[in-house]
Amino acid sequence: MERLVAVWFAELGVERSDGSALREFSHFLEALGELCPFVDPLRRGLCVFPMRAPQRFYRTEQAVLDVLDEIVQRCALPSPRVGVAQGVFSAEAAARRDRVVPPEESERFRRTLPIEELIPRDVAVTLRRLGVSSVGGFADLPRTRVAERFSALVVDLHRVAQGERSEAPGQRDAGLTRALTRESHDTRGVDEQLGFFGQRGAREERALAAAWRVRSRLGVDGVLVASLGPGRAPEDRNHLVPFDAPLAGSSGNAPWPGRLGSPTPVRTPRHPLPVTLVDAAGLPVYVGSRGSLSADPVRLETGGGDWRDVVWCAGPWPSIERWWATPQRRAHLQILTERDEAYLLRAQEGCWWLAGIYD
Amino acid sequence: MSRGGYSYERMFAFSSSRPPVPTDLVAKIRPATLARSRTLNLRGTWSEVIPGGVLRRGSTVLVEAESAHGGVSVALSLAAQASAEGLWAGVVGIRDPGVAAMVDLGLDLRRVLFVPSPQAAWAQAAADLLEGVDILVLQPPAQIKSALARRLSDRARERGVVVIVVAKDSSWPVPVEMNVRVTSSRWDAGSRLVSRVLRIRVSTRDRATSSFHDVILPDPRGRVATH
Repeated sequence: MERLVAVWFAELGVERSDGSALREFSHFLEALGELCPFVDPLRRGLCVFPMRAPQRFYRTEQAVLDVLDEIVQRCALPSPRVGVAQGVFSAEAAARRDRVVPPEESERFRRTLPIEELIPRDVAVTLRRLGVSSVGGFADLPRTRVAERFSALVVDLHRVAQGERSEAPGQRDAGLTRALTRESHDTRGVDEQLGFFGQRGAREERALAAAWRVRSRLGVDGVLVASLGPGRAPEDRNHLVPFDAPLAGSSGNAPWPGRLGSPTPVRTPRHPLPVTLVDAAGLPVYVGSRGSLSADPVRLETGGGDWRDVVWCAGPWPSIERWWATPQRRAHLQILTERDEAYLLRAQEGCWWLAGIYD
Repeated sequence: MSRGGYSYERMFAFSSSRPPVPTDLVAKIRPATLARSRTLNLRGTWSEVIPGGVLRRGSTVLVEAESAHGGVSVALSLAAQASAEGLWAGVVGIRDPGVAAMVDLGLDLRRVLFVPSPQAAWAQAAADLLEGVDILVLQPPAQIKSALARRLSDRARERGVVVIVVAKDSSWPVPVEMNVRVTSSRWDAGSRLVSRVLRIRVSTRDRATSSFHDVILPDPRGRVATH
């Protein structure tokens, strides 16, 4: 189970009359994006992020927590409770206790938690009467017996107790993402340049009027604006949205462990474009399980039977991303053809895809 | 200074409390530019490569390059300076913009409008954008009717917009003020792609001669640099 850091600001859990709690939480999440791009807000004041990627960059868990502390101070927030443990449920429980649970102890930690921390009160009372007082005791009940007596929700909670599931149902506030999006939308445009009369500048008015005309001609996706998103590969970082849509926060230039650096391809196909890469014998080149190429690539076909000789290649740079959700195993390869065209290729799901053209 | 008497404030044309301006009027009013700049200044490498060191408003620049030989980079890099200085840019017909590379080139994405796949309506989309932007990067389809091209060039001249056309060859059917041709490209590659040297031929309509230059695009930071 993925090792997670849970950060809990008790005082941001309840909204204040001026709506500042959500705003402060939103600012904190944005700032936290520079430590880890995969911050997952669970409820107001509570978020988790995986320890592994930042730890790879900062070496130790303590170093990651130190950076976290700096970010909290920079946001002028009171010290949060912080917990580190395996899985979302245990991480939150660890945060309530301000504990860093070593990986090998995480299982035991979860089992010792009182049953009320996992189970709704009414069911917890029944379980207590049955002599089950801890999460571990509940986990030891056979799944079939639980399913006979209790609802599907309790069966799901049993999975959490047994460590099969990371997150307990009900741990997450489904409306939070929308509230946060609205929040960042509301505060957007603070740095918008205002014209002489306090309205938008005339230049911007003209540009936006032109954009509307194109949009009425081509449809919603006709005119796009771009922003630099977070991510490891250049094709992940393209955020192209209709020009009047709210823009995501600009955390795209934050440091990123293992990012493919500049120069990056100036064209990155938005729809996956399969390509063929073969070795001297004409056999497909693939990335082995150890992250190396099966053979030196010799020829490339970018569709339409147009073959080019490969004169140089670098990589593959393998990565497994979002390993706590759906694991994505990918590798990137830079190649140069005999016509001095440079391409970025991506190996994924046993195929090669054109990830970028250095035009 | 009594309330009913002559107030100090009225001596000045700008009183501190301005009356609200009707919105329909605001839309029509533009800031008064006394000497509207007729050129867009270039800095660094491009100021040495492009004759005069400026892009003339209303002019059309044709960037010719084989596919994947730096045409898109040259065009966007030429537009980057104006974009960074606060002008609006439109990018029409570049299907899959690589955002990270564009940021490296120096474009300010807050003021760039992308029309990635206008398909048959590329000329109309470009004409629409000419009304609102200061610089337009355009990658048209292979076959262009000269009437369309001429109409766009004329409109750009009226509007004072710099149009930068990216094409594989001289397929732009009307004369242009400046032609920038990538004649060769050479990558410097070590353990990864490092930088690329582009040999560029620049010719303008006013001057009979053309000049050759080597520019580094992209350099290891993804920008343009002097060789």
